[in-house]
Amino acid sequence: MIQFDLLRMGDSSKISIADDLRVDLELDKIIAVASNGDKLISETWSNMLLLRDSSEDVMRYRQEAVRDALANRDVIIKMYSIARDTIERVKRDVFILLLRTDDPPAVARETSRGIRILLDGLEEMLTLLKSSPSFSSTAFRGFVSSFTANINDQFISSARGVASIFDTSRENITFSVKIGSSNYLKDPVLLVPREGDSFLSRILSLGKEYTYKLDPRDEAGPRIIYDIKKWVLHRSATVLLRSFNSMMKFFEDLMRQLSFYVGVINMSDFFARIGLPQTYPEVNPGVFAFKDLHCLSLATSTSSKPIPSTLSINASDSFAILITGANRGGKTTFLKAIGQALLLARAGIFVPAESFTIPTPGAVYTHFLRGEDRALSYGKFEEEVKRFRGFANFLRRGDFVLMDESFSSTNPIEASVVAENVVSALVDSGVNVAYVTFLQDFIYNFTRRYGERAVLLVPERLKSGERTFRLVRGSLQPGYAMDLWVKLSSNPSKEQH
Amino acid sequence: MEYRSILGERGSMVGDDVAKDLRILELVDDILGRNRDEFLRELYLEPLSREETAVFRLMVFQDLMTNDVYKMVEGFVERIRESERLIQLKEEAYDQHKVGLHLDAALTYIDAVESFYNGLRAIGPRSEGLKQFLNYLEQVINSPYFRSMKERAREAKEARDRIIIKVRFVEDGVKVSKYNGDGEDLTALVERTFSIFKDGNGEEVKWIKSTGDMTHIHAAILEGAFRFYREEYETLRRFMEDFPTVIDEGVRSFAREVEFYLTYLRYMRRIMERGYTFSIPSFTRDGSMHVKGFYNLLLVKAGKAVVSNDIDTDGARRIFVITGMNSGGKTTFAISLGQLAYLSTLGLPVPAVEARLPFFTSIMTAFPTEEDPRESLSRLEHDVVRALNIIKRANDTTLVIANELFSTTTSDEGFQLSKLFLSELSNRRSYCLFITFIPKVASLEFTISLVAMPSPEDPEKPSYRIIPGPPPKEYMAVRIAAKHQLLYDDLRRVVK
Repeated sequence: MIQFDLLRMGDSSKISIADDLRVDLELDKIIAVASNGDKLISETWSNMLLLRDSSEDVMRYRQEAVRDALANRDVIIKMYSIARDTIERVKRDVFILLLRTDDPPAVARETSRGIRILLDGLEEMLTLLKSSPSFSSTAFRGFVSSFTANINDQFISSARGVASIFDTSRENITFSVKIGSSNYLKDPVLLVPREGDSFLSRILSLGKEYTYKLDPRDEAGPRIIYDIKKWVLHRSATVLLRSFNSMMKFFEDLMRQLSFYVGVINMSDFFARIGLPQTYPEVNPGVFAFKDLHCLSLATSTSSKPIPSTLSINASDSFAILITGANRGGKTTFLKAIGQALLLARAGIFVPAESFTIPTPGAVYTHFLRGEDRALSYGKFEEEVKRFRGFANFLRRGDFVLMDESFSSTNPIEASVVAENVVSALVDSGVNVAYVTFLQDFIYNFTRRYGERAVLLVPERLKSGERTFRLVRGSLQPGYAMDLWVKLSSNPSKEQH
Repeated sequence: MEYRSILGERGSMVGDDVAKDLRILELVDDILGRNRDEFLRELYLEPLSREETAVFRLMVFQDLMTNDVYKMVEGFVERIRESERLIQLKEEAYDQHKVGLHLDAALTYIDAVESFYNGLRAIGPRSEGLKQFLNYLEQVINSPYFRSMKERAREAKEARDRIIIKVRFVEDGVKVSKYNGDGEDLTALVERTFSIFKDGNGEEVKWIKSTGDMTHIHAAILEGAFRFYREEYETLRRFMEDFPTVIDEGVRSFAREVEFYLTYLRYMRRIMERGYTFSIPSFTRDGSMHVKGFYNLLLVKAGKAVVSNDIDTDGARRIFVITGMNSGGKTTFAISLGQLAYLSTLGLPVPAVEARLPFFTSIMTAFPTEEDPRESLSRLEHDVVRALNIIKRANDTTLVIANELFSTTTSDEGFQLSKLFLSELSNRRSYCLFITFIPKVASLEFTISLVAMPSPEDPEKPSYRIIPGPPPKEYMAVRIAAKHQLLYDDLRRVVK
C-alpha cells in the first residue's frame, strides 16, 4: 500500500456551521481565486478551510509543505496533471457503469482494461519522481519514498501480464468444480489458462475429455453458460474490481491532496499580482497580534489592496474585541479579515499581512446579522438565539466567535442583557470573541468589568472629521447622551431642523 | 403405532356474527402474518367444544414457550419442509440431478428426525402431545427401513464428495475431464499480484443469474463427471432405487399441524416485544372469573396507546353492565374480553397477566347493525329477535357480549327490555357484558356495574379504565355546556 498524507486532515469533520462561515466570511471569493475554475481545488480548499480541528503541529506540517510546493511548483503541477489525466482516461475508456452491474465477466473485462491504464499512469509518475529534484518537506518526501518503495518496473510488468489474461478475447475460461448437495456444482476455482496447449497434448487428451456440443438451435444454452461464467468469475472479478478501485483511489487521493497545493500556487500568484504581503502565521500563547492585515475577500473583489488593519493584544487570557461606531467605517470588513486570516492560518496557508500571530489555532464560528429587515421581532430574536445555541455546544477553549450585530433584533436594553450574558460566558470559558455591536449598555458594562481583556475599537476619525476606514482603540464616554441632551435642550432650534 | 394428531381434535367453525363483532378475522390475519395457509386459517377459526382438548393444546404451548423446545420444533419443521421441497424438485429434474436431490432429501430428513428426537428427549417435554410424538419418532428411527436408509445415504454422499472435474467452455460447447489438481488458481494469482492495492472494505461483485441451476447444461457437465466417476454414480443411483420413500407420513402430518403452535408463538413474540404479556388460561369449575390486566391485541398491533383492565366475579353474579362516558373504552373492553375468551376456547395463550375463566362452549354477540331499508324489521325489532335467539341458546357456559342493545327506543322501554333480557340470561347462569347508556340497568340487583372512568388529570378525557362502581352522576355533555355557560342559570342571566 502506498502511504502518504500531504494534508494531515486527520479525522476532523467539517465545522458544524460550515455553511454560515462560508457566507459570512465570503469564502467563496477566496476559494474561487485559489481554484481558478478547477472544481476539485475548490472542494479541497473548502474542506480545508472549514475543518473543525487544527493544531500548531498540523499548521507547521502544512506550512512546510506549502513552502516546498511553491519551491517545486513545476513538479507539483506535473504530478497533478498525471493524476488528473490518468483518471480522465479511465473514465473515458472504461465502461464504469458496467462495474456496477451483476455481470462478473463484464466487470473483469472492464476493470482489467482500467487497470492497464492506471498502470500506465503509475509508470509515468515513477519516471517523473525518479528524475525530479528532491523535496524538502516531510509531507512530499514521505510520499516519494512510499511510492518508490511500492512501485517499480517489475510490479508494472507483472501486473500488466495478469490484467491481460482477462482480455476481451479470453471468453473461454477453465475451472475446476465439485458436486454438492442436490448435485449442484460447487466450489469453482478459476484456473490460469494453459498457453502451450500443443497439438500433441490435445491428441493425448482424446478420450479423456467428455465433450458436449451445443445444438445451434439451443437458445437457452449460451445464456446458461454465461450464467455459469458469471458464477465462476465473480471472485476474480471482485478481486480485480477491488484492485482497480484501490488504484483509482490512490490517484484520486493523490489528486485531491495535490489540488490543495495547486490552489496554494494559484493563491501565491494572486498575492504577487496584487502586491499583498505574504506571511506564515505564528502561534504564540499570550499574543493576538497582526500588522497590516488585509481583508482577502475584499482584495479579490476589487483586485486591489484594501486598507489594512493592525492590532496587538496581550492575550494571556481569552479576550473580547468589541467594535462599534458609525456605519461604513470598515467594521464588518475588519471582522471578515480576522476570520479569513484565522481560517487560512489553521489550514497552514500564508495570510495577507506583514505579520500574524495567534494564541491558538482554535476554530472559528460566526454569528452575523441576517437579512436586511431591521424591524424588531421576537420571532427573529428567537431565531437568533436558536442559531447561537446551535453551535454553542461545539465551542471549545481557544476557539473564536465572530459576532456581527448579534441580538439586534430586539430592543437594545434587553439585547444588552443577553449579549452580556453570552459574551461574559464565552470569555470566562476561554473562548475569544470579536463583536461588532451598537449595544451601549453592554459595551459599557462589559469593558468596565473585563478591563484589559476587553478591547474596544472604533473607526478612526481624523481631526478634520475625515474617515480613514481604520479602527483604533477607543473608549466609551458615558454621559455623552446627557451632554447632548443638555446641549440640544439649550438650543432647541437645532433639534427642530 | 399410529400417529396421533398434535392438535388433539378439530373444533367447529365460528359463527359469522361473532367473527365480525369481535373482529376475529382481523385478529387471525394478524396471527397469520404473511403466512396465507388456508389450513391454518381454518384451525384458528374453529373453537373447540371440549375443555380437555383445549387443555391438551395449552399443555403443548406450555412446553413450546420454553425457548429451547420452540427452537427445536421450529428447526425440525423447517428441515422437513426442505426435504419435501427437494423431493418436489426431483419430479421435473434431469436424471443427473434426480439422484442428488433424492440423496439430499434423505440426508436432510434423517438428520432432522434424529437431532429432533435426541434433542427433545434430552429436554423431556411435559405435555401429552409432545410425549406422544416422541414415542412415535422412536419407532420411526428404530425401524429397519430408516436404519438402512441412513447407512446407505452416508455411503452415497461420500461417493459424491470424491468427484472433482475440470470444465472448459469453448466456442461451441463444454468440455469436461477429470481434474488432477495440476491447474493454478487464477484468482489467487490476481490477488497476489495486486496485493499492494488491496482494498480492505472493498465491494463485492454481485451476480444475478437469469437461468436455473439444474439445466441441460448442468446435466451435461454432470454427465461428463459421471463418465469419469462411474462407480460413484452407481452408488447414487442405487440409493434412489432402494429407498423410494423418504418422509414418514406421521412426521409429515406433525410438521404441518404443529404450525398451529409455531405461528401463534411467533405472533405472541411480536406482541411481547412491545412489552405485553400472554398467559396460559386456566378454566374454572365454580363459575368464577378472574382476568387481570387484559388488553386489546388489535390496538397493540396498530401501535396505539393500550390500557389494560381487569374483570372479576365469584360466579354468583355474571351479568356485567358497563356504563360511562362516550369513547371511554367500553366497546374495546368488551371486545378484548370476548377475544380473550375466544382464544381460550381454541386452546391458545391469552393477552392478559392472568386469566382464570370458565371454558365457554359458546360465545354470542349482539352489536348494533346498520339499518337495512329493504328489511321490514326495524332495528329495535332486530334487537329483540337477536336477544331472543341468544336466550334460546344460552346456558351456563355461554358468554354474551351485547353492545347498545335496545337503544332505539325510550330509555324506559329500553330498561324494561334490558331487564327482561338480562334476567333471562341470569336465570340461565350465562355470562354477559352489556354496554348501555341507560344507567338504571346497572341498578338491577343481579348485575355487576362497571364504569368507564375519566382521566384523573383531565376530566374531559377518558382514562380507558373500566372499573366496578356506580354509573357517573355527572354527565360530560352537561359539564361542557357549563363551561360554555349554556346551563339554565347562565341562560337566565343572559336572556333578560
